[in-house]
Amino acid sequence: MIVDFNTAAITAIAFWATGSLLGLFARRTPVLKLPALILSFAGSLVMVCFIGLYWSLLDRPPLRTLGETRLWYAALIPLVGFLVEYRWKITWLKYYCMGLAVFFLVINMNHPEVFDKTLMPALQSPWFIPHVVVYLIGYVMLAASSVTALHNVFLQLRSKENVAGESVSHYLALLGFVLLSFGLIFGALWAKEAWGHYWTWDPKETWAFLSWLAYLGYLHAYRYKIDQGKLQWYLALSFLVLLVCWFGVNYLPSAQNSVHTYTNG
Amino acid sequence: MVVVRRRWFQVPWEFRESSIFTALSVLVGFIVQYATSGQGIPMFRLPVNAVVLAVFAALILGTGLGFRENEMVKWFGGIPLGLCLIVAISVLSLIGGVVPQGGLMAGSLFALLGVNQIFSSWPFALTVVLFLANLGLSLSWRLVPFNMKNLQFILFHAGFWIALSCGVFGAPDLQRLVVKVDEGESSNLAWSMENDTEQRLPFSVVLHDFSLEEYPPQLFLYDPHKEQPLQERTKRTTLVHKGAKASWKGVDVEVVDFLPSALPGKNGDPEPAESKAGVPFAKLRIASADAAPIDAWISTGSPMMKPYAAQFRELYFVMMPGAPKAFRSDVTVHGESGQQTSATLEVNHPINVMGWKLYQMGYDNEVGRWSKYSLIEVIRDPWLPAVYLGFFMIMAGNLMFFWNGIKQKGGVS
Repeated sequence: MIVDFNTAAITAIAFWATGSLLGLFARRTPVLKLPALILSFAGSLVMVCFIGLYWSLLDRPPLRTLGETRLWYAALIPLVGFLVEYRWKITWLKYYCMGLAVFFLVINMNHPEVFDKTLMPALQSPWFIPHVVVYLIGYVMLAASSVTALHNVFLQLRSKENVAGESVSHYLALLGFVLLSFGLIFGALWAKEAWGHYWTWDPKETWAFLSWLAYLGYLHAYRYKIDQGKLQWYLALSFLVLLVCWFGVNYLPSAQNSVHTYTNG
Repeated sequence: MVVVRRRWFQVPWEFRESSIFTALSVLVGFIVQYATSGQGIPMFRLPVNAVVLAVFAALILGTGLGFRENEMVKWFGGIPLGLCLIVAISVLSLIGGVVPQGGLMAGSLFALLGVNQIFSSWPFALTVVLFLANLGLSLSWRLVPFNMKNLQFILFHAGFWIALSCGVFGAPDLQRLVVKVDEGESSNLAWSMENDTEQRLPFSVVLHDFSLEEYPPQLFLYDPHKEQPLQERTKRTTLVHKGAKASWKGVDVEVVDFLPSALPGKNGDPEPAESKAGVPFAKLRIASADAAPIDAWISTGSPMMKPYAAQFRELYFVMMPGAPKAFRSDVTVHGESGQQTSATLEVNHPINVMGWKLYQMGYDNEVGRWSKYSLIEVIRDPWLPAVYLGFFMIMAGNLMFFWNGIKQKGGVS
């Protein structure tokens, strides 16, 4: 590979690490705030550039395999953290986000086989990019929502007042749900063109539907004014369903005939 | 403040009553499923299913609008029951998402309970119908009297109602059949994979040509003793193109020449040939620290021609055909009343003919690009426009939800 993944990943991790470290020091020395932000930002920028180069190298968007989607998460999740800090002045989220991004990159560094160039005919569709991109951003939002909810749960256990945190997790879940709905429908429209029917209860479809139902349930519980504190637990755990959908499905007994397993493709 | 605990079944009903009701419904569903020995639900086709659905919709609308102050009706269209039904659908879908569906378990308790066909089982159908009733009631209250403020709610919920009900009630009308046509031949016979029967189509398909494009072939080092290709620890495959390099355990290989389509010439060396007949050939330069480099031609071979391999010590370098990149069928469809359409079918590029949709489905996998026939899937789904209407309504409602969600962010402090 012309663009070496390990170099890019290590550079990004180094930027995030030094950025986070400076960020922690910046609590006492405000002068360090800007360099900390720039360094953290640079980490994501490295990943964005890598994705761009890799895209042109492959002649197709690197969105096909789990390994490739992890590249996007690594680049985008920290950006959500920065956005939340900018919008709601919540500083801690970005550290979780950068940690998550490092986790994704480390998985890819340990499994280089995820990089493969060929794209099977069914995936060569104009629906490919919208379907995956919408899901990616949706998952990023819901990951951030889940992390926020978990943080809220800890604050509750230490009996701290935290109204702002609860509305952050709520709005991220709301936006994430909307994107999941679009992903689900785009997938259905694509499936009609490629596989003949819009819904076949393929295991991945079933799990995507389950994740969608989980957040549909959340939004109705919220609407019914169920205690927001309890719902933080719900939001923190909902992401587990998404995780199964995202990479657990391939290991389930039901996945033998899934159109979403590309390992033999 | 004195907290008065609500007694069981004291109106208005809430989560406790809803969850008991939902659990009982699912139980009843499983009992019916068991009693009918896992036969599943009766399937009504057009026009019966359309009439049943219309009556069902009218009933919900009538109940919702006629008895909107009735406590039981209020409960039936309320969020607590809706949430419990969502949980029930989730649990049933979870079963469907874990247990392999359609597996052959005839006679087992699993099959009798419909666990291996959960999405066409009684418990699932019953839950979905109750859910549609719940959703429909809540919708009726927002529809009348109409208010623009409810537009987002109406679009999302009505869209979901339409897509779900038409998808479920219309399922028996979906026809998915497979036509196998040989090159240069015509066929109007189609197989149904579901019930393994043959039926005559109102049109016939002529296959003029089937063609398949492949990705570049892959280079492997083959171990004849283990009868399997050796791979690097990374499992990364080497795509063959001129200049490609690979190394295994101190042996360096370079592709010095590559002919994507060739046939063996008089002296055994390959000569370029037209793409229909030829196969890929590659000239390898194999070198190691303790031996002089050697050059050798290798090829993937074809059903008519043995592959070429290059021997190096105990091992062989072989070339495997690349994965399929695209495959297409040039067809002409002839209708019963003389009309005809010519088109090229390709994966992701189906065509619409006489109310049917034709898909490039497959070919003879044994011989790949040398296949002499093409498998074409023909599909008819009269309910599709209604389901799509539902989809687009959901998306429109969602756009408004997204917009409002972003706007409301400003309210957080």
